[in-house]
Amino acid sequence: MLLIHCPYCDETLPEAEFVYAGEAHIARPEDPSTYDDEAWRDFLFIRTNARGRHFERWRHTHGCGRFFNAVRDTVSDRFLLTYRAGEPRPSDAELEELAK
Amino acid sequence: MSGFRLPGRGRVNHDRPVGFSFDGDSYQGLEGDTVASALLANGVHLMGRSFKYHRPRGVVTAGPEEPNALLGTSRGEGRSEPNTRATMQEIYSGLTTTSQNRFPSLNFDLGAVNDHLGMLFSAGFYYKTFMWPKSFWDRVYEPVIRRAAGLGVSPSEPDPDTYASRFVHCDVLVVGAGPAGLAAALSAGRAGARTLLIDEGAESGGSLLSEPQAVIDGKPAWDWLSSALDELDGMVNVTVLSRTTAIGYYHQNMVGLVQRLTDHLAEPPADAPRERMLRVRADQVVLAQGAIEKPLVFDGNDRPGVMLAGAALTYLNRYGVRVGDRPVVLTSHDSAWYTAFDLSDAGVPVAGIVDTRTDVDLDLLENARSRGIVIYTGHTASSTAGRLRVTSLRVNPILNGKAGPGVTIECDAVLMCGGWTPSLHLFSHTKGSLRWDEETRTYLPGERTEEVHIAGAGRGLWGTGAALADGADAGAKAADAAGHSADVSQFDVTGDRGGTGASNVELPTDRNPATAKAFIDFQNDVTAKDIRLAVREGMHSIEHVKRYTTNGMATDQGKLSNINGLMIASDALGRNAPEVGLTTFRPPYSPTTFGAFCGYHRGERFEVIRTTPIDPWAEENGAVFEPVALWRRARYFPQPGEDMHTAVNRECAATRKSLGIFDASTLGKIEVAGPDAVEFMNRMYTNPWTKLGVGRCRYGLLLGEDGFIRDDGVIGRLSPDLFHVTTTTGGAPRVLAMMEDYLQTEWPDLKVWLTSTTEQWATIALNGPNARKLLEPLVEGQDLSDDAFPHMSVAECTVAGFPARLFRISFTGELGFEVNVPARHGLDLWKTLMAEGAQYDICPYGTETMHVLRAEKGYIIVGQDTDGTVTPQDAGLSWAIGKAKPDFVGKRSLARPDLVASGRKQLVGLMTVDPKTVLEEGAQIVADPNQPIPMKMIGHVTSSYWSEALGRSIAMAVVEDGFERKGDTLHIPMPDKTHAAVVSGTVFYDPEGDRLKL
Amino acid sequence: MMTNAATLQDCLAATGLSGPVELRLLPEPARMALRADPAHGNALSGALRLELPTKIGDRANNDGLEVLCLGPDEWVVHTDGEGMAAVQAAFAEIYGEVPHSLVDISDRDIAIELRGAAAETLLSTGCPIDLSRIRPGHGKRTLFDSVQVVLLRDGEDLFRMEVWRSFLPHVWGLLNTANRELEVGL
Repeated sequence: MLLIHCPYCDETLPEAEFVYAGEAHIARPEDPSTYDDEAWRDFLFIRTNARGRHFERWRHTHGCGRFFNAVRDTVSDRFLLTYRAGEPRPSDAELEELAK
Repeated sequence: MSGFRLPGRGRVNHDRPVGFSFDGDSYQGLEGDTVASALLANGVHLMGRSFKYHRPRGVVTAGPEEPNALLGTSRGEGRSEPNTRATMQEIYSGLTTTSQNRFPSLNFDLGAVNDHLGMLFSAGFYYKTFMWPKSFWDRVYEPVIRRAAGLGVSPSEPDPDTYASRFVHCDVLVVGAGPAGLAAALSAGRAGARTLLIDEGAESGGSLLSEPQAVIDGKPAWDWLSSALDELDGMVNVTVLSRTTAIGYYHQNMVGLVQRLTDHLAEPPADAPRERMLRVRADQVVLAQGAIEKPLVFDGNDRPGVMLAGAALTYLNRYGVRVGDRPVVLTSHDSAWYTAFDLSDAGVPVAGIVDTRTDVDLDLLENARSRGIVIYTGHTASSTAGRLRVTSLRVNPILNGKAGPGVTIECDAVLMCGGWTPSLHLFSHTKGSLRWDEETRTYLPGERTEEVHIAGAGRGLWGTGAALADGADAGAKAADAAGHSADVSQFDVTGDRGGTGASNVELPTDRNPATAKAFIDFQNDVTAKDIRLAVREGMHSIEHVKRYTTNGMATDQGKLSNINGLMIASDALGRNAPEVGLTTFRPPYSPTTFGAFCGYHRGERFEVIRTTPIDPWAEENGAVFEPVALWRRARYFPQPGEDMHTAVNRECAATRKSLGIFDASTLGKIEVAGPDAVEFMNRMYTNPWTKLGVGRCRYGLLLGEDGFIRDDGVIGRLSPDLFHVTTTTGGAPRVLAMMEDYLQTEWPDLKVWLTSTTEQWATIALNGPNARKLLEPLVEGQDLSDDAFPHMSVAECTVAGFPARLFRISFTGELGFEVNVPARHGLDLWKTLMAEGAQYDICPYGTETMHVLRAEKGYIIVGQDTDGTVTPQDAGLSWAIGKAKPDFVGKRSLARPDLVASGRKQLVGLMTVDPKTVLEEGAQIVADPNQPIPMKMIGHVTSSYWSEALGRSIAMAVVEDGFERKGDTLHIPMPDKTHAAVVSGTVFYDPEGDRLKL
Repeated sequence: MMTNAATLQDCLAATGLSGPVELRLLPEPARMALRADPAHGNALSGALRLELPTKIGDRANNDGLEVLCLGPDEWVVHTDGEGMAAVQAAFAEIYGEVPHSLVDISDRDIAIELRGAAAETLLSTGCPIDLSRIRPGHGKRTLFDSVQVVLLRDGEDLFRMEVWRSFLPHVWGLLNTANRELEVGL
């Protein structure tokens, strides 16, 4: 069982309080009708499936209830960072700094 | 006093004899004994038979790594356990133990014939033998293998014991309470860190319990031990747990511990759990697990009486038991010499010390000579003799790496030592890397992946002084890392026993190595030549060697055998050990009971069972329940003599004729409130909501973004800014989470908030032509007439004096109402309605009748008639789509090419040609029953019932292009016969809906 | 006011054997779920007549009213029956300027009181969090066993645990089993 830092509660808490919620930074288009079939397929189904650093969403379901974003290494299963929904995706340089 | 006990010696209580039994015979041991030490005190070495060859086996170790002395233990009905290690099980008055894997008796075992067929049972035996003919599998091979497989007998009755669990948080977890662990706990505890020190033994002390000669800080080892434990006991921030095994080391310093609470007690207190699982989250972990002694590999190294020298030392010093009258020591490491010295000093004549090394420390030689012990340096062992107990050891001088002429040493115990292996199981669970140390020829901890410190023999350090110093350092580092400021405790040690050793493969022999039975894995009967054969036959990876030979795959998981197996495999391959690699250690470290994993989750608390406020009435009135999601719901209410079929027919008829009452409290309910509530509803649900008036309700359909149906339910508008949303019973948490997701992450600008009110309300559905007649006199604040309160209305009012949200809706096709009252009033309202409804023959009905009534009307159940690939069009629900809306969740997907293509499975009705035939739900449907097998399946039955109202069966199904097949005859092949059915619409009863309009 | 009679009876029947922790079901208070934009903190505080806590886990009390911050835009408000009407009225008044959701959930949860020096240990049989991090006067939504609960710490040795009604028999049964286990002392 992992420990996860909730960026809203500012507490590091057991994974049992959280649920995974898929890849992060895939925004629903303002007007889906403008998407052609391929673009819409990509939005629905095509995911990074990263080996290594993965941007993903979690929800602190059994805590504050908020969805937030995380960077987790899928090889080591370690979180580098969690941040609030709506905050910009951290740059590679920032993440390198954190990984040190 | 038993024959092999030394009066007054050891940590056992010589004044407290304890009686127990082994294979039906009564024995006496002492308080503090294990089964192994007590049997040895009685001169019993033979404790089991090996798995494959049924060879007689004695105890080899004095600890958790024991491969041979595995017993069945029992203390009454259901309380029996196979494969209990005699070296770990403490004796108590009345304990019953039995040996395993023998018939008819331990001394005379028919299965031992396998021993003489050994040539047939070599490595890869199973793979080679049970290959052909194929027909032999079912009738011959599998029954034979099944009969022979497995050690011991599992209990056949339910386990009457209870098991517990806890979550524990600490700064520093120290695993192992030997000198290193004790020192670590002292450092951390003195610094104020929340410290947990655990040991799997019955008492703390580790190697100190076997080596009382050391003097620490001026105190004899055992005095120092008790003062250290007293100090730890006195610190409020320190907890010391014995009989507690760390079974697994998981991410971010979560360590699983199993605490054995009652297995050592003659009379466990009532309500005491047998074991407790502790899930520990430690900021820092110190692993002080010590090292495990390696056996030497030579012909006959498994004969009862052959054991590890360190174990013999433990039996002598901790339990006051000499393991024989004339032991011989066979070693390649200094440590075993001290066993010989201590035995000799205790008055046991030692028949000799055989050391494979030519150069041995002069002090050791001098110490042996001064005790008159014959020394054989530079010698190998080529065989042992004896049937149920070793009687002699044959040793040979090693000349140029070859065995010279042999001499026989008469003995009744061979105490062997092939060096020591650091115990790195838990460290390996963390995926920490292991580093091969060429000097000691063993693996040591390498790169760490967790906040872990390894101390003492676990990282190759030898001796009490080194362990104490290293442990103190590790404990201080751990406490510092956890935010404390620790001093490294210092210890002054004299009388320490250092030492070094050499590493071997099989010992050289002058005999034919092809006939040697030189065991590596005692429990699985794997010999050195099995490993070499595996390599010759092409197994070049240690993982393949392991599986081909089964080396290390027994219940002891290779604690004794892994390194010997690796050394021999790498020798056979001509490669260095690190190139051959080590098999992966996986949790659990020791065999663990199912009970410990289950904890409290058994019987009525196996999983959560949610019940409604009306559940007690259903229980009292004989309801038969069924699980729906986590809920238990009344399925039907049988009257005396009724089966489900009869009861459901009666409930259906009563509801359609007059009045039925149904507990709908499990329906999910969500309060959607705020100025943007209607906009939110428009975006989430397919339906249009803007024009839904206050006081009106509408069927809502929820899709995923992929266009497939996720949920449905009736939604009422209570004010311009307030919707009362209902969901399916099982879908409630999912729907709320999905709504929150969109609100928080896609539309955070919307001023609308969600609150689950599923359990705020008890919901009672009243259906039938007399529903209004029952309710009208009980309702205040709302005119129930059809004009004032038409179908699909909602109002806040009081019912029977309780504040209520009243819906006029129907899931049966009859005039229907759903009354929501605060949950505390649910049962009272139900009882009132039952009493007042008696005049209308009110009939309580359950979920089964609800299913039939809704199916007669063609109302779908999401998750039964849909399966996550069904669109609104497929389900015939296009009417529920607000086509003028620019967007809603899933709208874009409804135009995806695959979702508008022909050949989609569509929901239709099925009328069996034989009206009495009720199809099986899930049955596959074909167009042509005469086509060759495998047939093309074009759909399946989703709902199927006997309809009492129609006097025939009805069914719904999803069928390829089903809408175009109306009137066609399709076929449902079943094992006994193929049924024919005609495709129909899905509304079977009252298609005009007249009954809703009463 | 009483909880649902039969559920209560079931639960009380399970307390036949006592343990070191005093367990009891609390009479149902009035309980409301408040959700609103925390930017309107002042107006919300005004309606509640207390300083609305905005740090998750913090609580505030005034005159029989108690508020626990559960999430960035979510609070649970406890009061007595009469207090609820006053709160509802005060919030209705500000709805125009401060849109929000105030939902009566008095019947959704049932509160269990745990009193005694072993209360934290008892809770550790089901709570995966480090309970020592919840200080008296604070609380949070978390899990007990697999059940979502709201846990409030009223003192070193005094907790309240609010459980959705249908989960009560499961949670209550576990607590009583574990309490007997504490009594045995092994």
